[in-house]
Amino acid sequence: MKLKYRIIERGVADGLVPFPLVFIDKKDVEACGLTYLEAFQKIADEYKDDCMAADIIDMNAVTVSSDGIMGDAAVVAFASLDHGKINKDFGFINVSEIPYYPEIVKDEPHMKQWELDGFVGKRLYRGPNMEDRGFRNVHNENMTMTGRIANNNTGSEMMNLVEMTEILVPCFGMNQIMKDGDVLVGIAGAEISVGIGMVVREKLGRIFNWSYGAGQTAHNSAKYAKTVKSDYPAIVAPKPVHAEHVLKALDAGLVVGRDLGCSPVNLAIAHAGGYEIDLDNITERAWIELESVGCSKDELSKPSPKMSREEIIAKADEILPGIPTAKLYKASEIVTKKELEV
Amino acid sequence: MKLMHTKLPDFLKKAVAAGKKINPDTQVTIEGFESMKSAKLASLRVGRIEDEIVELTSQNPKIKRIEIQMIPRVAETINTVIIKGIEEDGSCPKAIMDTMFLTVPGEEVYLEGVGEVSDRRAPLD
Repeated sequence: MKLKYRIIERGVADGLVPFPLVFIDKKDVEACGLTYLEAFQKIADEYKDDCMAADIIDMNAVTVSSDGIMGDAAVVAFASLDHGKINKDFGFINVSEIPYYPEIVKDEPHMKQWELDGFVGKRLYRGPNMEDRGFRNVHNENMTMTGRIANNNTGSEMMNLVEMTEILVPCFGMNQIMKDGDVLVGIAGAEISVGIGMVVREKLGRIFNWSYGAGQTAHNSAKYAKTVKSDYPAIVAPKPVHAEHVLKALDAGLVVGRDLGCSPVNLAIAHAGGYEIDLDNITERAWIELESVGCSKDELSKPSPKMSREEIIAKADEILPGIPTAKLYKASEIVTKKELEV
Repeated sequence: MKLMHTKLPDFLKKAVAAGKKINPDTQVTIEGFESMKSAKLASLRVGRIEDEIVELTSQNPKIKRIEIQMIPRVAETINTVIIKGIEEDGSCPKAIMDTMFLTVPGEEVYLEGVGEVSDRRAPLD
């Protein structure tokens, strides 16, 4: 049997990728009769002279972005690999499925998306549960650690701890990589840096849990929020693709600032389309961060251009803020598909 | 049970002495304790480390240097940062405490290229 995998090699995208990133389709792991950990170890064995972050992704499952938008392709396991090693206590995390229960929409309003066509009935994975986290303490993030590599935030924020480099691969970007779609690669910039902190309240979130809700900022760091991740490279979905995800949530009646995180992107799309925004539910601390990237209450209070869904998608590159210097790549330009004998 | 814990300076001396027990010319370097002015170490663990240093040197007469490195067992740690404003007379009218989450390179970085690793750490469960 051969295990198929995708690898983004160090240095691709004009040198922005600081170390290799590996993505494996869950079905390809299962086809080989391997456990997730065994699959990661096979990859580690293949690269005994290098270190990398690795994720296993279920393409038939859904997940949720930090600002509350649902999308296909969920990380079901992630790991840190270094010179053939996976730390036995902290190098691997399995992510358990979150079962559906009817009250989930009451507890977590953004989960109404799970009842929409295209998402309904699909398995949900967000962050690992306490059993998945193993020996990690309450203060530990959803992070795997082996040697140089930390793979954090459920496989979406990867670091080399010796070189002190880092790269972000948000879930919609991951989906594009796995679907052989297009991706934007560039330096994250101030808007993404602020947006990452504009979360929704959820149990077992990929990054945050219950402490902060829609309209609040988990970063809570005023003018400094825009610098937190601004200098790091990111691999994200093209803006029209991202806009489609957000529009699906907005068309379902979800409100930015109340049901969905008040990220600059969510706010920009909602305002462009004339969707309701709960401006009064956005906290002062969040407004400080938003205004630091030019996203002000005054601007959002102005009449909406009431653009159609099609117009928003067509003009997404102008409407959606963030990642200003990014270049558009076909996945095939930065991703190499490989396989190894198992 | 006054022998339950060992003073940090005593541990550092014991580690050096253990390294030189077989061959007095063996060099001993110790890293990971630099920021600690004082501490108490579990004496049973100190004894184990001493024995293990001697074990390494006695088993291989070619060893010229013992390197001891202490790193966190969990590479991601939560730490307290204490910030003090000191006046000319040395008094400190106010201090601020905050949290620092820190992730450092794991043990694999230090063990790269090592022939055999005998992992004798206590299990976490």
